[in-house]
Amino acid sequence: MQTYQRGKSLGDRVLLAAVIGLALVWLAPIVWVIGLSFKPNEVLMHSTGGILAPPFTLKNYIDILAASSVFSWMLNSTIVAVGQTVLTLLIASLAGYGFARTNFPGRSVLFVLVLAALAVPEQAIIVPLHTMFAAADLHNTYAALIAPRLAFPFGVLLMTQYFRAIPPEIDEAALLDRASRIKIFFRIILPLSIPAQATLGIYTFLHAWNEYFWPLVSATKPAMYTLTVGLASMQTNFAQTEGIGFLMAQAVFAGLPVLILYLFFQRHIIAAVAGGPIK
Amino acid sequence: MAEAEGGIGPSHWTNAAFVAPYMLILLGMLFMPLCLGIWLAFQDYDMLGGWSGGVGIENFQNLLDDRIFRGTVRNTLKFVLMTTPAFVALGLFLALALNNTLRRSALLRAIFFGSSVLSVTIVTLVWRLVYLPDRGLLANALGLFGLPGVDLMTSQVWALPAIAIVTVWWIIGLPMTLFLAGLQQIPPELYEAAALDNAGRWRTLTGITLPSIRRTIVVVAVIEVILQFQLFGQALLITGGGPDNSTRPMVQFIYEAGFRDLQLGFAAAASQVLFALMLIAALAQFWAGRRKGV
Amino acid sequence: MADLSLRHVSKRFGQVEVIRDLSLEIPSGEFAVFLGPSGCGKSTLLRMIAGLETLGAGEIHLGGARIDTIAPGDRGVAMVFQHYALYPHMTVRQNMAFGLRNIATPPNEIERKIADAAEMLEIAELLERKPGQLSGGQRQRVAIGRAIVKQPRAFLFDEPLSNLDAALRSRTRIELARLHQRVRATMIFVTHDQVEAMTMATRIVVMNQGRIEQIGTPMEIYQRPRTRFVAGFIGAPAMNFLPVAAVREEAGHLVVTLPGGASVTTTVPAAGLRSGAALTLGVRAEHVHPGSGAPARVDVIERLGERTLVYANLSDGSTIVYDEPGDVVLQVGETVHIAIDGAAAHLFDAQGMALHG
Repeated sequence: MQTYQRGKSLGDRVLLAAVIGLALVWLAPIVWVIGLSFKPNEVLMHSTGGILAPPFTLKNYIDILAASSVFSWMLNSTIVAVGQTVLTLLIASLAGYGFARTNFPGRSVLFVLVLAALAVPEQAIIVPLHTMFAAADLHNTYAALIAPRLAFPFGVLLMTQYFRAIPPEIDEAALLDRASRIKIFFRIILPLSIPAQATLGIYTFLHAWNEYFWPLVSATKPAMYTLTVGLASMQTNFAQTEGIGFLMAQAVFAGLPVLILYLFFQRHIIAAVAGGPIK
Repeated sequence: MAEAEGGIGPSHWTNAAFVAPYMLILLGMLFMPLCLGIWLAFQDYDMLGGWSGGVGIENFQNLLDDRIFRGTVRNTLKFVLMTTPAFVALGLFLALALNNTLRRSALLRAIFFGSSVLSVTIVTLVWRLVYLPDRGLLANALGLFGLPGVDLMTSQVWALPAIAIVTVWWIIGLPMTLFLAGLQQIPPELYEAAALDNAGRWRTLTGITLPSIRRTIVVVAVIEVILQFQLFGQALLITGGGPDNSTRPMVQFIYEAGFRDLQLGFAAAASQVLFALMLIAALAQFWAGRRKGV
Repeated sequence: MADLSLRHVSKRFGQVEVIRDLSLEIPSGEFAVFLGPSGCGKSTLLRMIAGLETLGAGEIHLGGARIDTIAPGDRGVAMVFQHYALYPHMTVRQNMAFGLRNIATPPNEIERKIADAAEMLEIAELLERKPGQLSGGQRQRVAIGRAIVKQPRAFLFDEPLSNLDAALRSRTRIELARLHQRVRATMIFVTHDQVEAMTMATRIVVMNQGRIEQIGTPMEIYQRPRTRFVAGFIGAPAMNFLPVAAVREEAGHLVVTLPGGASVTTTVPAAGLRSGAALTLGVRAEHVHPGSGAPARVDVIERLGERTLVYANLSDGSTIVYDEPGDVVLQVGETVHIAIDGAAAHLFDAQGMALHG
């Protein structure tokens, strides 16, 4: 608590005005698009100005419910994102515990491998990865959509780091309480790492939901499209399209789940980006 | 030596069971394709014609001779050079302006970060509409000043910068957040000491804040270079690489060679070039950062 | 009967030897305190007994059975950790029940044991709280309670009082001593605080650099330190050490001269010591008497209330501390005369070993 405060300087005011102006620029496209999604397509054919003036319509959203594949794509995205999140949490937590809390021959070497994996970009492996899944005849399956991202090392490193910060005394007390390694993991360490689990879970979910390249090449049948790929497939001939309002309604509809997730879990998402769970 | 540092209890190979599931996936889904990709880069292998044996560095020579590929390298480098400074400068500016506990700043941080949770598809959908020459938001805004709408997407000069703007709008949240995390690490005592030493705002910024987050600046620059080398979705969905290949990035080249033309060896070779360029760029930056005494 | 027995135990971390060929017998029911400066190996020794560190060499036996080869949970020991290590996500009751459940104790028996321990430790009203809602002292009690319910053969305490404030620490010392009288189990307590060791121990094991310096009851350790290290480590203020030379024999006892010339007749037999040998005289503040003897200049006066500690410089510049009554009238810079009670003084040879009468 400051006991005195200098008057706001001119510099402060200019800075604030600049940042607020920038924020408006950041918001404008989204607000505008949301506005358009409530306008009749016929009006938008001629003009996209004046989003606050009537006429308004819900027809674009009703059309989504009626005709579009957005729902089935959303289901696919949900299955993939949830599956990937659950599996990542389980696998990364187990590995993190192994690296942070147990000793076994070769542990350091394996950990270096995990760190090295950070340097490998998706694009460097996507062609051979596609070939492998083609050889196994696994494309256009949920397994193919989920599996490759499980290899990304971020989760393992995050969990390792978090577990290392839990006092070893806790594990030792449990060892003296005659708990097995598995029991310590499930009864002590997992419950204690719920903040990290939340951070990693939301982060993984968002990434899986927004993933574009791999689903684009793996899910080639429209029935297996994820929302990201499916929506992209409808963007062709944009300038000539007569259904701008409909397209925008789809964009809003598709963006809504992540924006809601963001509103609720903003702290966790930002923490994951900043490189660690909330303390 | 029975115990390595860090772990609890005696060393035993059964403990490796905890890391086994992940390590198997890591080997199968990352290191195996990585090795396969390096091998593929030296093979004549396409999906239709099948495998026709090793060809040495022929794929790489073909890439070098490929006018379009050379163009994608140029476009990608241009894009990296456009976006990385913008991410560092704007990210740092926002972080400095919003590094306080005011409620207002929290809201502003949320706005600047919020766009990064959207998928590339939604972002490009929105921005293609913004850029529409006759009815776009940009045209509407220009119209307010009596200016005519411009068609950035068909301009060989402006299409790539337009994509860069979309990208900065999309993920400015990442550098901003990393800088904020860096700023939080600076001990408050430093600022108190500076205040007692009568340092003004500018002196505090250049004498305390920036030197303290030098490492973060290097890290953010490296991360952004690595990320922006991977430009793909925005270009594919906004311009499709046009006009006249002026926005086609390397990843799109890989995508088209590998998944449209099905020339796997050729595409894998292009992947290795991308990987190598990214590593070189990242290492060069670290090296430059170290030379400056970071 | 020796309940806990360490036989030729050693341990190294990399190149550093933290325990060197250490053997120790602790009879059943003792309150043994491992006392030593940080890094002396006392905590490592405790953790080896618990099974949290492996042994480099040697054996540990408890109640006649070898335990160093079995898992920590099977050794019949319970540990109270420095930071308590309560499971943060479990209530006090669940914390205490966890170990009992793991050995398939019937639920009604678990309830009874928890109720008994909670009553003994006066934590019954805290049973449904989580550790985060407890004060430091309450956590301390819960940690002890978690150990008690297991009815272990030996309790291991790893500096459990170091996180408490001074008032709570002295209260807990008394309670632990009382607890020991009640449960009559072997207790091993690690600390670097000699007051804790003096007040609670039935037997003190003074350790230094991975070795045992001395084992004995608190008063044995205090009155007859075997080495200069022990003499200096036990007692507050620390014992005075003065370089002296053996000058002559008087009725079979050695007489030494202080810096400044005054001589002290000790109780150490003179036999075997040549005149002029370089020795160190050790004497506690309470055995330095003012009034007559060597002159010294008062340097610092420390008033403790019931007594006053006076730090004075002898003619050669060495400092000596001695007791005065609480209300003594004294000024810094004054010259005083002090005499040393030779019967209570100690002599150490060049190797730091005590010469005893």
